[in-house]
Parts: sequence; structure tokens; C-alpha cells
Amino acid sequence: MEKRQKRRVWLVMAALLFVVAALLMFLGQGEEKGPAALEVDFPRRMRAPDRERAERRRTQVLPTVAPTDSGTAAEPSRPRDPLLAALPRGPGKTAVIIEANALRHSPIGGLLLDCLMRDGGKQLEEFRQKSGVDPLQDLDRLVVTDEGMMLSGNFENARFKDLLGERVSANYGEGARVYEAGESSVTNPDGTTVKRRDTSAIATWNNQLLVVGKSPDEVKAAIDRVEGRGPDEPPAISESSTYGEMYGVLSVEMIARLFPPEQAALAQRLRDVAQNVELHLDASSDVALVAEVKGPSADDVTDLGKSLGAALSLARIKAQAGEDKDLAQLLDFAKVKPDGDSFTLEMAVPLAVIQERLAFCREERRAAEGGRAPETGTQAGVEQAPAPAR
Amino acid sequence: MRPVLGIAGYVLREAASRKFILAFMVGITLVLAVVAVSLRLEVIDGALAASRLFGKELRGNIQSIDVALRPVYQAAAFIVFYGGILFGIVACSDFAPGLMSPGRIEHLLALPIQRWHLLAGTFLGVMTLALGGTLYGTTGLVLIFGVKAGYWTVGPLVAGLMACVGFAAVYAVMLTTATLVRSAALCAASGFAFMVGGIIAGHRQDISTFFEEGLSRSAFLAVTLVLPRLSALAEAAGDIASSTPLEVRSLGTLLLGVFVFGLGALAVGFWRFEGKDY
Repeated sequence: MEKRQKRRVWLVMAALLFVVAALLMFLGQGEEKGPAALEVDFPRRMRAPDRERAERRRTQVLPTVAPTDSGTAAEPSRPRDPLLAALPRGPGKTAVIIEANALRHSPIGGLLLDCLMRDGGKQLEEFRQKSGVDPLQDLDRLVVTDEGMMLSGNFENARFKDLLGERVSANYGEGARVYEAGESSVTNPDGTTVKRRDTSAIATWNNQLLVVGKSPDEVKAAIDRVEGRGPDEPPAISESSTYGEMYGVLSVEMIARLFPPEQAALAQRLRDVAQNVELHLDASSDVALVAEVKGPSADDVTDLGKSLGAALSLARIKAQAGEDKDLAQLLDFAKVKPDGDSFTLEMAVPLAVIQERLAFCREERRAAEGGRAPETGTQAGVEQAPAPAR
Repeated sequence: MRPVLGIAGYVLREAASRKFILAFMVGITLVLAVVAVSLRLEVIDGALAASRLFGKELRGNIQSIDVALRPVYQAAAFIVFYGGILFGIVACSDFAPGLMSPGRIEHLLALPIQRWHLLAGTFLGVMTLALGGTLYGTTGLVLIFGVKAGYWTVGPLVAGLMACVGFAAVYAVMLTTATLVRSAALCAASGFAFMVGGIIAGHRQDISTFFEEGLSRSAFLAVTLVLPRLSALAEAAGDIASSTPLEVRSLGTLLLGVFVFGLGALAVGFWRFEGKDY
């Protein structure tokens, strides 16, 4: 009888232990899914929306060349993107395209807009009224090159004559107008006047393009390229590289200048080894950057990649030691992918980090607007291209 | 406690005499030796710049060594967890049936010990064996990568210990099965079944969506509520080995829960063993 009771104790204990185990496992694992591991989608290739966007932009058809002497009709030219056609040609050039409209409708764009409109949007409104252009609606892309700047979008309502009043303007090519700066008189503090000549020039093309250059020849050369009179070389950025919210090629010299002084040796190595750097930045959610560095010597490029990877690793260790969690987290994603005579550098900044850093902009904008919640415009992340100019 | 330790020692001596277990230890040693000899890591300022296996360059990213080794440690944690449990099921399945075989059980029962001491000692002996093997393998791995890469972490060791807790729950079920039927094959089968059940239990919320709402889903959730959540533990082990954030709410509570399940299974075995006639 006693033995049976003793046995029963084991059974009761087992039942109790199973109940406790179930409870502990239930509480320990949790029924809701934990936060997903942070993943960043790097812009490594063109995706379907990028391809569709590129296709939509092929709006320009060059006139077909007259039949040749042999009687064979020339092939009709394929439609192309006028902005890409306007880009500088040849290696070693810098051309970075910022998808202003896509960026403005991305989460990071909303934050940047808050920073731009910290005065409550007064300056923007002033510009809008003066120029007839609403940068938030009419601007599609902005290009920065060695020679100047280009803007694409819908400039139908732009009042160029009011804006560029003192400049001398003349039609150029088939659809362009070039504004050259004339001489202007400037009065010195001592009362004397001197005549100054501003060499910069601006050109507009079909109310779609605005080219700002250092000289009239430069802007005319850009218009020539758009209208098919340029060199036969491919543009600095090919259509297959038009992905991300910011992309382009940067001269090595320009990249090297971005390095901090303590990394001067690395900057010099970049100058010595690399030919050009192709850049792609995606801001559709987190900000992810992919930079492809190419050079003539595979060994030198690989060594440069290793040095760069080591510099990033060291920076991460320093950030961890200095308890700069944000920077350490950002550098968690930093990696160099060697590939023969090129390597790809990937870096990312989680959106949450940027939101935290730029939170003051939203507060200042709200204060300037008298406590009203700032208008975020359309839904974040949805690109709304400006209506094309006709 | 002394009788339990005595039986555990007896089990360990039994294991030492088995070529299978010895072969396993030699196997681990060989794998570690091959990795140590054939793997070359080039680390510059804390970044893994290049790696060579058997003299052949492995294509990989240049990044911080701890980030680069994350997938290695994570894979090692999963291999130790699931591979260790599977090996344990196969290698230890006939310990208990062997101990209860005719002739031997009568001799053991004649000793001045309580019956539950016999089962507890067997459990302790097997767990000591599992713990030794796991620590040997994971310590070797940590030492190899620590020396070669200069990156030291106890993550894989902790993951190995967690694997032992998972095996404890499975082996307790196997031991209890041995009190019901004296068959090594059935012991292994029950261990394997509970391992699969444990994997399912760890993903019970995801899997439950495949059941229609109502009785079938509730029954599934009720059954998997009690099973040891081995896959959740394995994933947590992987996270710890790779120094990434844990997905489980409380690792300590989960570990304790799996271990208590093992004790519960063992208590059923005690109950059955106490009432069995030999």
C-alpha cells in the first residue's frame, strides 16, 4: 500500500512538472513573433519598377536621317531619355543623378523636407511665386556634373524671363533657349563702379530640361548631346545603371576629397588605384549605399578593397568601444565584395537612426507653422512623377 | 546522491568501452584538426580580408571578423544542437535497455539503492557524456577561430550547453520508454519522435495556421503546448553563438521549461520503474 502511494507521488510530481514546463515554455518563447532581424535591401541591380521608370522616360525620338546614296533607308532611331543623353561623355567624368521626386516621396524625403521647411515653408513659397516652379511638384531629377547642374521635370509654368531678366537669351538648336550673362555694373564701397562679366550660362530645352553651366559653350554642348549632335561615345551613366534614388559615376578625385584627414593615405591609394566609382543609393526604406570601384589592376584593386574593409572594421570597433550604438549598427552592414578588377562597397543607415537624428527638424517646422502638424504630402514611398511638359 | 553518482560512473565506463562513442570523439578531433590545419584566415585591423580552405581561396566579403563569422558560428550551433541530439539518440538508445536486460537488472536491483537511483544515475551518466562531447567540440571550435582570427567569444560554448538541455528532455523520454519496453529501437524511435515534435512545437504558431480554426487547431495547440520547444531553443542557440539579438522573450525561462519537461518525463519513468516486476 505504502509502495503504491510512493509511486503515485512520482505520477503527481510528473503531472505538476509538465504543467510547470508548459507554462515556462509558453512564457519563455512568447506567442508573438519577436522583432524581425534588421535587413537592408541594397540596390545591386535594376528592379522591375526601375525598368518601368526608365521605359517611361524614353520620350525623345531623334529625327530619322535621310536615306543614304545607296538608297537604303536609315533605321529609325530608338526613343531615349533626353536627360541621359545630355550627360557628359567619356571616362573620368562625374555625373550624379538625384531622383528628386522619388526621394521627396520616400520616408527619408519627408524628413529632409521637414529640415528644408524649418521656416514654415516661407522661402519655398517665395521661390514658387517668383519662378512659377514648384520644386516639390515640378522637379523630377537633378543632376550634378563636373560642368554644372541639370534639372529635369515640368517647367511649363516657369517664368525664365522674369528670373533671368538681365541675361541675354537666344534660341539654340531645335528646342533650346540659352541665357548668357551679360556685363553688369557693380558699385564699390568707395563709390566707383566696375563692370563685371559673369560667364555662367543657363539653357532650357523643351520646358523639360534646365542646364546650368560654367560657360555658354558648356550648356550648348549639353543641348547638342540631347539633340544628337554630340560625340558618339556613350553617356556617363547608361540606362541600365539608373536604379536607386541617387546614382551615377564619380571621379576618383572627388571621392578622395570626401575622406577625413586621418585617412589621407587611403585617399591617395584610391587616387592611385581606382579609375571610377559607380554609386547607387536606395532610400525607399532604409538608406542603403552601393559603390562599385573599378581599376586597371586586379591585385591593386583587391588590396584597396582590403584596406577599405579594414578601415570600416576599425571604425566599427571604435564605435562599439565608444558606445556609439547607431554608428556601430550602421557599420554592421558595411562590407566590401571583391570581384577581380573591381569591388563593391555596401553601407546602410537604418531609417530609425535617421528619424531620430532629424527629429529636431520636424519639431522646428511644427513650431514655425504654429503647432500645425506638418503636411507630408502624399503617401510616403510612392513616387509621383511630375506631369510631362508638352 | 552517492548511488546516483555510482550508477552514472557505471554508465560512463560502459560508454568508454564502446567503440562507437570513441569513434565519435576521434571524429570530432579529426574535424577540428582538419579545420585547424587547412583553414587560413587573413585578418587586417579586425576585418576578415581573405580566407583559404585547403589552399583554395574562398570568395567572401571583406567585413568585420565577428560579422563574417556569424554564419559560421550559427551553422556550428545548429549542427551541434540537432546533430548532437540525433547522435545522442542513436548512440545512447541502448544504454537503458542494456541496463534493464535480464541478468543485469537483477544484479542492479540487488544493490542497496532505490530504483529511481538507477534511472537518475543513467540519466546523469548520459548527460555527462553529452556535456563532455559538446564542450569538447565547441571549445575546440572557439579555440581554433580565436587563435586564427583573434576573435574570442563564448557564444558557441553557451549554444552547446543549450543543446545539452534540449538533449536532456529528449533522453528523459527515451529513458522512460525503456521502462515501458526494453527495446533500443523503440527508445530511439521515441527520442526521434519527440525531437520532431519539439521542432514542431517551436513553430506551433506558424504551423497552427494550416489547421482549420476550431477543434483541430485547438487540439494541435494543446498538444504542442506541452512538448519541449526544441526549435525555439535551437534558434536561440544560433543567435547566442552568432552574437545576434534573441528572438525569444526570455531565454532563461524557456531553458528552464525544457529542462523541467525532461524532469517530468523522468518522473513518469520513475513511476513506471517503481511498479515494475523483474
